[in-house]
Amino acid sequence: MSAEENRLVTMLNAGKNDTPCQTKTLGNFLWDDLPDATKWADCVHCGMCLEACPTYQETGQEQHSPRGRVYLIKSVAEGKIDVNEAFSKPVFDCLDCRACETACPADVQVGGLIEEARGQIRQAMPLTGFAGVLNKTLLRGIFPNLKRMKTLGGLMRFYQKSGIQRIARKTGLLNIMPTHLKDMESILPEVGKPVLGRYPEVVPAEGETKQRVGILTGCIMDVMFSDVNEATIRVLTHNGFEVGLPKQQGCCGALHVHAGDRETGKKLAKQNIEAFKDYDKILVNAAGCGCALKEYDELFRNDPEMLPLAEEFSAKIEDVSKFLYDNDFDRPKTEVKTKITYHDACHLAHGQGVRFEPRQLLKEIPGVEMVDLPDADRCCGSAGIYNLTHPEMAGALLDRKMDDIPKDVEMISMGNPGCMLQIAMGVQKHGRSEKVVHTVQLLDWAYEKDKEKLGKPVES
Amino acid sequence: MNRKKHRREKPDAVVQRLMNIVGEREVFYLKEDLISYECDGYTMSKGMPKAVVFVKSTEHVSAVVRCLNEEKIPYIARGAGTGLSGGATPLGGEVIISLVRMKRMLHLDLENRKAVVEPGFINLKLTQSISDKGYYYAPDPSSQYACTIGGNVAENSGGAHCLKYGVTTNHILGLEVVLPNGEVIEIGEEGIPDQPGYDLLGLLTGSEGTLGIVTKITVKVLKNPEGKKTVLAYYDDINDASQAVSEIIAAGIIPAALEMMDSIAIEGVESAAYPVGHPRDIAAFLLIEVDGIAAGIDDQIDEILTVCKHNNVREVKVAKDEAERGLWWANRKMGFGAMGAISPDYLVQDGVIPRTRLPEVLGKIAEISKKYELRIANIFHAGDGNLHPLILFDASIPGQSERAAKAGSECLKVCADVGGSITGEHGVGIEKSAEMRFIFSDAEMTAQTNIRAVFNPEDLLNPGKLFPQPGQCVEIKQAGQGDRSTVPVNAMGRGD
Repeated sequence: MSAEENRLVTMLNAGKNDTPCQTKTLGNFLWDDLPDATKWADCVHCGMCLEACPTYQETGQEQHSPRGRVYLIKSVAEGKIDVNEAFSKPVFDCLDCRACETACPADVQVGGLIEEARGQIRQAMPLTGFAGVLNKTLLRGIFPNLKRMKTLGGLMRFYQKSGIQRIARKTGLLNIMPTHLKDMESILPEVGKPVLGRYPEVVPAEGETKQRVGILTGCIMDVMFSDVNEATIRVLTHNGFEVGLPKQQGCCGALHVHAGDRETGKKLAKQNIEAFKDYDKILVNAAGCGCALKEYDELFRNDPEMLPLAEEFSAKIEDVSKFLYDNDFDRPKTEVKTKITYHDACHLAHGQGVRFEPRQLLKEIPGVEMVDLPDADRCCGSAGIYNLTHPEMAGALLDRKMDDIPKDVEMISMGNPGCMLQIAMGVQKHGRSEKVVHTVQLLDWAYEKDKEKLGKPVES
Repeated sequence: MNRKKHRREKPDAVVQRLMNIVGEREVFYLKEDLISYECDGYTMSKGMPKAVVFVKSTEHVSAVVRCLNEEKIPYIARGAGTGLSGGATPLGGEVIISLVRMKRMLHLDLENRKAVVEPGFINLKLTQSISDKGYYYAPDPSSQYACTIGGNVAENSGGAHCLKYGVTTNHILGLEVVLPNGEVIEIGEEGIPDQPGYDLLGLLTGSEGTLGIVTKITVKVLKNPEGKKTVLAYYDDINDASQAVSEIIAAGIIPAALEMMDSIAIEGVESAAYPVGHPRDIAAFLLIEVDGIAAGIDDQIDEILTVCKHNNVREVKVAKDEAERGLWWANRKMGFGAMGAISPDYLVQDGVIPRTRLPEVLGKIAEISKKYELRIANIFHAGDGNLHPLILFDASIPGQSERAAKAGSECLKVCADVGGSITGEHGVGIEKSAEMRFIFSDAEMTAQTNIRAVFNPEDLLNPGKLFPQPGQCVEIKQAGQGDRSTVPVNAMGRGD
C-alpha cells in the first residue's frame, strides 16, 4: 500500500470512530460537520436500492441511484474526486425520499448521508444567482421566522380574497411565471389563519384528560393548511388529549437540512428542543417535519453537548395518525360515505415506517371504502421544495403518481402538506376532480357527523 | 484544491461521434459521472470506463458498436450492474453501453406462454406485470428486484427456484443480437424447441457479454402453480440438515426450492432489514418450498416433515399464510446484502458440488475459515448443491482483502476437487477467470476461446472476462488490490 493509501485508511478509520472535532478533514471533504464514514461502510454495493429510487427509475443513471450516490460520496472521502458541480448534481438531485432505505438489506442510512454531503457542498460552493436568492429569502428569511410566515400567509390571503388573484388569472399576468410556479399558484389552498398564536397555548381535552401532548404546528402546514391543524387539535381533544401549542416553537428545519444548510437547521432544532422541553410526547401531522424531528440526534451527531438532548427529544416524536391508532382512538359511528385512496408520504412510510396506522384510521371510519393505490409509497415529486428546484423531475413523478391514482375515488388522503400541495396540483393539471385531504381531516369530519347526528358532543 | 469551480472538459472525437448517434445528453464522459460505473456488484476489481452511452434501440446499439469497432475502442454492455463476478466491470478505458433504458415489454402472448422484452426489462417486473393473469417468469435471482433480463441472459442466472425450474437458459426462446461487427441477427425460433444447425441460443446465453449484445429477448412464462407450501426447519447440527437435503431429493420429491443458511448467515439476516426471529443458537435452517398441482402438495409436505424429523430437526413448521411465507423469503433473498450489517465487506463465492458431498465440503470450508482467520457464512441453494460461502472481512485492515481472495479461491478449489464447478450462476467474469483452470484443460479452454474469436475476433467486446488471459489476469488482480484496503467488497446480485 502506498503512503497516500495508508494516510487514507488512517483517516477513514478515524472517521469510523468519529469523536467530534471540527478540524479534521476526510479525503476531499474539508469542511465542518464531516460526513459519517460508518454509513457508507454498511453499503456492499448490491444494487437492491436501484429500482426503489425514483430518480434512477427516471434516468437509469448509476450516479442518480442510491448506490451510486453513496459511491460518489465515498469517492470524495477517498480523495478520488472533488467536491464540485459534477458531484453536487447527483447529490442534490436526490429527492431525499428514503425509498432506498426501505429497500436496503443492510439498513444503510442513505438519507442522512446525502444530507451530510449536502452540508459539505454548501460550505464548499455557496449558492449564487437565483438559487442563492431563493435559498436566502425562503429558507433563511421566511421559514425560520414564524412572524414572517404569518405575514406571507396574510399576503396570500389578501391576494386570494381581494380579487387580485382573479385578475391575475384572467389577464394572463401569471403567464410571465415559469410553468411549474404557475401550476402551483393555481392550486394554492384558500389560506386560513395560522393556529399558533390564535389558539391558546393549552387546549383542554374533552372529558377526562388521558394525556398531555404537544403538537408541532409547522410553518407550511400552519400557513397553508391551518384547517388541518385545527382538525388535528379537535381530533386529539375529542379523544381525551390535552393539546399544548408552545409559542416558542418554530420551523422544524427539514428544508434547511435537505438543502445542505445544516447550521440554520441546528438553530431551529435547538429552538424546538427548548420549546417542547416540558412535554413527554410531541405529535406531528406533517410527515416531513416528523421525520426531521426524529432525526435531530443525527443532526447533532458531531456535537457532544447537544446530542443527549437531541436524542431525548427525538424519542418523544410521533406521527399523529400512529399515536391515535396506538391509543385506541374513538371509532366514529356515523357513516361517511366516500371512496378514498391513500398515498404514502415518503417521510411517513420510508422515513418513519408508518404505513399501517393511517390506512387503518381511514378503514375504521364507517362508510369509507378504501381503494389501493399502486406503488403508493413512490414519491409524488414534492419532496420539500424539490418541486421548485427540480420542476422537470418533480413533474415527471407527479404525472406517474396521477396515472396511478384510481379513476373512481373521490378523495386522496395523505399525511404531509408538501404532498397535499403537489397532488392537488396534479389533480388540477390532469383535469381530475379528487379532493386532497389529510388523514386526520377525514376523522375530524366523521366526528363532526357523529355530533350532528346525535345533536350533542359525543363522549369519547 | 477542490474549491475551484469545476471546469467542464470537452468531449473528445470518439465521444463526439457517440453523441452524434444517441444524442448529446445520452453520453457521459466526466470522471464524476463515470466513477460509479467502475464496478458492478463485484467490487474487488475496478476500472474507469472511457464513457457511458445510453441507447434506446437496436439501431442505436448497432451504430454505437460499428463506431467503436472503427475506432478500435473496447466496449461493455451493462444492465443494472448487480452482477457478482465483475462481468460489467471495466478493466479501464472501455465504453459502457447501458441498456437500462431499453426496458419495454414488446409483446405478450399468454396463449403461447411467451413474452418479448427488451434487455433492460427488470426481472421481477415481468412476473408483476402478468401475475394478475395467473402467470409468472420462473428464474428468480435474489437480485430480481433490480436486475435486468438482459443481464440474466448474459450470466445465465439462476435463483432459489432453479432446482425445479432450471436456470435462465431453460426459459429463453429467442434472442435478437447485435454482433461485434454491428450486424443484427435473430436466433432461436419461437415455438420451435430444436432448430437445425448449431444451438446458438445455448451458446449466447451465459456468454457473459463476450459474443454479442442482446437487444430483444423472447422468454417463456409459466402458469402459476395451483398450490404452494413452504417449510422452515431448524437444526442443531449442520450435518443433520445436509443429510435431510439428500434424503428429500432421494425420496423422489423435487421441491421448487431447497435453501440452507448456517448460523453466521442467520446472524446477518437477523441483524438486517427483514428479521424473522430465527433462534440464534441453531446451526442451520432449511427453507423448503413445494409447488404444483394442489392435490399432491400436502403429501409431499408430510413426507418432508417426516424426513426432517427423522434427521433430528429441532423445530419444523409450515408457513401459515402468504405474509409469513413472504417474510421468510425476503429474509433469505436479502441475505447477501444483509452481510453489510455484520461485516464491513464480504466476498461471495459460487461453487457447485454433488449434493451428497455437502457435509464434507462444509467441513473443508470451516477449515479454510480457520486457516485464514476470517469468518465464513454459508447461504446456499442446497437442493442443487450450489454453495455461496460469504467470506467476511474488513478491507480497512491491511491484508484482509488478500486473505479473503485467497480463501475464496480455496473454497472453489474444494468444489472443483469433489467433482463440482467454480460457478453455479454468478458467472466467471473477472473474478473467477483464473480459477477456470481448476476445471478446464488447456485444450478445453482453447476450444472455447476459438468460439469467441469467431464472434468477437478483435476482442473488443467485454475483453478480459471469462477466460484466464496469460499475464493480464494476474495484472488485473494486482490492480484491484490497491483499492482493496479502502473498498468494501462485493454484494448480492444477479445470480444468487
